Formats: sequence, structure tokens, C-alpha cells
Amino acid sequence: MKTRRGFLTASSSLALLSFAESTPAFLMRAAAASAASNAGRVLVVVQLSGGNDGLNTIVPYRNEIYRRARPSLAIGADQVLKIDGELGFHPAMRGFADQLEQGRLSLIQGVGYANPNRSHFESMDIWHSARTNHSSRSLGWLGRMLDELPPDSGDAPALHFGDETQPLALATLRTPVSSVGSLERFRLDVGGRAALRRAIQESAESDRGSSNDLLSFVQASTINALAASERVDAAVKSYRAAVDYPKSGLAEKLQRIAQLIDAGFNTRIFYVSLDGFDTHATQAAAHAGLLEQLSGAVSAFLNDLHAHQHLDRVLLMAFSEFGRRVAENASQGTDHGAAAPMFVAGSRVRTGLIGHHPRLDDLDDGDPKFHTDFRRVYATILARWFQQPAGEILGQHYEPVDFLNSNIG
Amino acid sequence: MNSRFQEIDPSWAWRRYEPGPESPWNKRRAAHLFRRAGFGADAAALNEAISGSPGELIERLVVGVDAPDFTDQMNQMMRTLAAGNNPRNLASGWLYRMRYTPNPLHEKMTLFWHGHFATSGAKVEKAELLLNQNELLRRHAIGDFGQLVLAIARDPAMLLYLDSATNRKSHPNENFARELLELFCLGLGAYTERDIQELARCFTGWEVNQGEFRFNRFQADFGVKSIFGKRGNFTGEDGVRVVLEQPATSRFLVRKLLRFFVADGDFPDPLIEPLAAQFRADGLQLAGVIRTILGSELFYSDRVAGRKVRSPVEFGIGLLRGLDATVNLNMLAEELGALGQSLIFPPNVKGWDGGKSWINSATILGRGNLARRLVTNSETRFGGRKLPEYLAGQGVVEPEAGLNWLLEQFIAIPIPESSHARLLELAQRGDAWADVLHAMAVLPEFQLS
Repeated sequence: MKTRRGFLTASSSLALLSFAESTPAFLMRAAAASAASNAGRVLVVVQLSGGNDGLNTIVPYRNEIYRRARPSLAIGADQVLKIDGELGFHPAMRGFADQLEQGRLSLIQGVGYANPNRSHFESMDIWHSARTNHSSRSLGWLGRMLDELPPDSGDAPALHFGDETQPLALATLRTPVSSVGSLERFRLDVGGRAALRRAIQESAESDRGSSNDLLSFVQASTINALAASERVDAAVKSYRAAVDYPKSGLAEKLQRIAQLIDAGFNTRIFYVSLDGFDTHATQAAAHAGLLEQLSGAVSAFLNDLHAHQHLDRVLLMAFSEFGRRVAENASQGTDHGAAAPMFVAGSRVRTGLIGHHPRLDDLDDGDPKFHTDFRRVYATILARWFQQPAGEILGQHYEPVDFLNSNIG
Repeated sequence: MNSRFQEIDPSWAWRRYEPGPESPWNKRRAAHLFRRAGFGADAAALNEAISGSPGELIERLVVGVDAPDFTDQMNQMMRTLAAGNNPRNLASGWLYRMRYTPNPLHEKMTLFWHGHFATSGAKVEKAELLLNQNELLRRHAIGDFGQLVLAIARDPAMLLYLDSATNRKSHPNENFARELLELFCLGLGAYTERDIQELARCFTGWEVNQGEFRFNRFQADFGVKSIFGKRGNFTGEDGVRVVLEQPATSRFLVRKLLRFFVADGDFPDPLIEPLAAQFRADGLQLAGVIRTILGSELFYSDRVAGRKVRSPVEFGIGLLRGLDATVNLNMLAEELGALGQSLIFPPNVKGWDGGKSWINSATILGRGNLARRLVTNSETRFGGRKLPEYLAGQGVVEPEAGLNWLLEQFIAIPIPESSHARLLELAQRGDAWADVLHAMAVLPEFQLS
């Protein structure tokens, strides 16, 4: 073991190859096990699955068209948490309102893309791959960035927290990205039998040639998993939460992420999902619950990171695959729509509303029109937050959106 | 695209596999058939299989055997589980069926349809309706696809899951119509948004009343609809018929069946077309196409072995069936959920993606930990006995022969010599078969089928 670690430290550029399919197994292992540093910037993505109703998230509470289109679902001026004279948060979003006041929340309005697709899977794939062309969607926008990252990290460069299928956004050419349900699931249980652990480790590392790409993939994943098992064990020992997190699935995941960040885990991208936004029927209660969970969990997470002095290097981004129709349906719900707001949070964001609220008297087939392509937001994160070649990753140049402070470099 | 299949001559691929000196009908091939067409088999079943011909075995799998006692026992057990109205309990009951069924192919196809017509207890919540749907899928598992689609379109659990229950004349809800085209019958690109809107109108008034399908004529749109260039006062039944007449249906289904039975990834059109033509000629009857696939040269060739990732259910039930093991199935249901496959609770209407998406760090470690729990749990029995006694009863005593017996039983492709040597060292430690099984279950090769 020592010789492998030493070999890697002496020649850190080898980590670039860490999980290439042609890389010898012992190098994959060494790269995965090498020491972490904690200076890097982090992105936490919160995916709101199902299509979040943007209009009832940032509510145009004075708008007559909005009120008429939603006889049962419209939220009134007396209920919203006001942002300005026209717009307000859904009343369940106290946490977001607090973060806005503290200058840590950027609300990017009217985000979408041309010729919106209203299939969950298609639209989610478009957001994940940043490609509208169906044939070029095998890699994720974050996956493409992970393939560009400089060779200074031995930790898993990205982690997906959740038991659901790993999002396409994290699909890479080389590096299998890890998914974790709970931290316990990241520990190999060998019943204390050292010989068994060794046998498992060495059996995974045996050279297998490369004629079966599926086998190469599973082998790389296995080696990655065994290394991650050791790291997570070590990483979580020193952390205590500085704030009380609400009791929710999302809050629990974000707290675990805070734990890993605080422990110096050098993962650049953390990815979590909150599902249930596909509110076709009796939307009001379900949507309120989801928004409360989102805003409460994110708010606690930001406060915790701030108290642990990590917030300067963490950016959180929340998105959904589409918004919903302006008009409610006959089931007190809303159907699949298009443009919606995105959220970016952290201590380095330009706080407040970015861009104008989409007009409700000029709709696209019943939906608000987008004015900001979502890839402009991605481009901003890639280029300004991570200093990566956004144009190459996204396949073309997109004009950045001004939601980060000018002094972040 | 699976480039491996690009060069294959379709007439070779779908030709009937005849055992010969180059490709004998042996335990390895029989184990392959049982893994793909079912959930694996133990040594006794494999020995029985190779004493006959592959054709006989396939026929028995496709047609099924009469097992009235098992069927009665299952029906009673599932109704009892549903009565508690906790959909989670259905998963344990279904795992029991997969573990013990004498008709594994029917069960495998029931699982296929559960992923195809995915309906989740997270939204439907009523265990009885979910059980009814599960039985519907089993009834039609290897039957007439058209009848299955029509039945599922009127299935209360599906109506609730895709909001058809609130699909009204004044506000058509497009959810079911969209998925009928995108996920159930045609696939993306074979229809327009306009087709969806018109099709949704056909299903207006299809409701659920007290747990049963009801046609509510007051919410139904009797007007003229235009779908795929055809116009008429189409009803829901007409809508289904028009969709099924699209040639894309047969290709879409065959493609998915090939991914399910043969290999992960996509298949080139020339390989799809002969089976799609057979499927159409058979009037969308499933048995013929499945017979062709499971009896084909391609299916038994090296191009296919180890080219599918085992699903969590295949992993778990495969271990149990292979060792004639009995475990706590509630625990298993929960663990399989953590590995990404909660029966009765598919992740979304698209079902499980399968393939590489089953594999990540957490699921690799989880599979290993699950194998350990299954084989070391003090309640687990193997053929009614403890593991060493069971293995001794199978003639597994000597380390190397025992290891090879396990590998032949469970693993589709050869493992590297050095991995074999590591496992053999474990086996030689004495009283260590549980450790060997655990280490084997974490091998990259073990995750493949």
C-alpha cells in the first residue's frame, strides 16, 4: 500500500488517468485512495423532479391573469412572502425568504429553452445533457466537466446522494460517479475478517483485459466503491452540525454533504433530488410541503456551512425539468409546462431577482415563454465558478448570466 | 448503439440453436437460460435441464406448467397481504413467488411488464388495486399484447397513477395518452404532440369508481378526433387500436424484449426487423417472439454471455434459487429497494432503466453486504439446512471443486486466474464457504448475467 500511495504522490499527474478503462487496476485504486485537500470550490445541485410549478413558487401575486387562470390554486397578496411589489415567495418558503434577506440567494427568472419538450424524461435529459439534439445525449453537462477536471483529486470528484437512479447529468466518459443512499451504505461489511477484505480487494483488481466494456465498467465501479468505503469511514468522524436541520429527506442528505465538506472531502459536485413536483391533481398541499422541505433544508445547509466557514466555496443550484401550465386543470392541479425560475445560493451570489418575470399575456401554447436559456446558467457556473472551458463542455458559447459576485475570479 | 451487434447476420442470429460439439447443451448454457428467462436455478434443476433438450425446456417455460396448489397458496397469501393495505407488503409476497414459482418465465415477464407499465404504490397507495394490476400483468404475461394494453388502459391502478381518472371532456389530462405513445407502445419520435392531445380526448370519461373501472359518459368527449391521420368518433378502445396498428409498435416492443433477454444497450434495425415481422404476423402474440429469442443461436453465443447487468432482483433471487435458500423476504424486499429496485414502487413511469444504471459505489457495496447478510444470517436455510451441510449434500467439500461448482452455477463468464486464486485461498481456510460466497458476489463478473 505504501509504495502505491508514494508512487502516486510522486507523480500526481497519473491521477488524470484514474479511472480510464485502460488504466491498470492498481493505479485506479491508488488514485482513488490518495489524500484529499479541501481548498476547491464545490457545487451542490438540487434537482426538483417532476416539473416544479414556478408560478406558485415565485408568485406574481398582483397579476390578474394569474388569478383568473388559477381559481383554486392562486396565492394571494396577503399570503405570499413578498420579494417586491409584484412578486412574492410561496408562503411555505420562509427559509428562502430568510436567505434572500441575508444576501445569499439569487432568483433567476424565466429559464428554459427553445421548443420546450413536455415529456419528463426528454426534458430532464435535455437539462442533464445540455443538448437538445437527441443523438448527443450520452454524457451529462457535469460529467463532461468532470472529464475536464485537473488531476489533483483522489476523492470521488462527484457524489450522488440518493437511492434513485443516478442522474444523466453526472454521466462521464471515464469516471464512474458514486451514488450513496446513506453513509452506512458506503461501508463494506466483512464481519471483521481481514482475509476476506483482502480477497475482495485483490479479486476486484485482477487484470481483465478490455474486450467486454460492461465488465470494465463494473470493475472500475467496484474498485471505486472499495476505495470510497475507506474514505467515507475516515471523513465523517470530526463533524458536528452547527444548526438544527429540519426533519426531512432532503435536509438529511444536505447535512451529510455538509459533513463531508467539513471533513475535507475533496468532492467537487454533490447531487441530490427532491421528487414529487408532478402535481397534476390536488396540487396545493403537496406543493406547499415540497417547497417547505426545499427551502427549510437549503436554508439550514447554508447556515451550517456558514458557521463552519465553508460557504465561500460552496454554490448551490436548484432546477426542475420544466415549469407548469399557467392555467390549472380540472383536478386542482397543473399540467406540464415550460419556463420556470432557477435558484442559486451561497455567499458569493448576487442576491435578488435576476431577469424579469415571464409575461402572462404572451404565452407559448399556454406556458410562460423563457428568456434565459438554462445553458447560460450552466456556462456561468462552469466558466466563473469552476474556471472550466464552458463552450467546449456545452458544445457552443452561451452568454453568462450575472448572478455571481464580480470578485470571485 | 451496441456496435457488437452491428455486424451480425440476422438470419444466423435468429436461427434455431442446435446443440453440437462446438456448442453443447451443458450446465453453463442451461444456467444462462434460467438466468435470463427466470431467476436462476439450483444444481438439481440444471441437471434435469441438460438431461433433456433446450427446445423442450423452452417450451415448458413458455407454455408453463399447471401448479394449482402453488397458485392457490399464492392467491391466498397475496390477498391476505393486500388486506393490510400496505403496498410494501406486496413486494415481499411477490419475491416469495419469484423464489418458488414453477413458472419462472411467466414471473420474469410479469416483472418485465411491471417495469413497462410502471405503476407505483407511492401514488396509488391502495394495495388491492396494485395487486389486481400485478395479477393482470401475470395473466397476460406471455399472451396478446393488444389485449394487455387494453386491459392496462382500464386498470384502476394505472388510471389513478397517470391521472386518467381526472381526464375530463372540459380539461383533458394528457398524462396517460402521452405515456401510452412514448413508453408503452411506440417510443419517442413516432407521434406528434397533436396525436397526444387527440388521443387524450378518446380516454375522457374513463374513471375509477369504488376501485373499479367505470365509463362516465358525462365526462366523455364524443367528438371527432384525428390520430395518426385517421379521423373518427374514436372511443378509448378505438384509440388503443389505432396506436397498436402503427408499425412502430412491434419494433418498439421487440427492441425492449431484446434488451430484457439478450443484452443491455440497443440493437441495430436489421436484427430487430425479422422479430418485429414475426410479432406482427402473430397478431402481437408474445409467445412466438419469446420462443424465437430464447431458442436462437445468438442467445447461446459468447456475444451475449455477461452482456447484461444483473438487476437487484436477479441478484437476490438468483442467490436464493441457486442455493435453494430460505430467508426473511421482508428484509430482502427492503434491501433490494436500497439497491435501486423497489418492487411495486418503480422510480417513475418509465420503470427501471437497467443496465449500467444499476451499478454505482453504493449498490456495489450494498450487493456485497446483502450477500453477506443472506448467507450468514442465522435464520437462513439452504435446502432446509445450514450452508456447509447443504453444500456437502451437493458433493461440495473439497475447496477447488467446490469453488468451481459455485462459479459454474452463478457466473456467466470466466473470472481472471488471480481472482480465482484469491477465492481458492479463502475456500482453503476451512469453514469459509460463507466468505467465499460473499467474495464471489462482489466480483465484477457476478454483477453480469
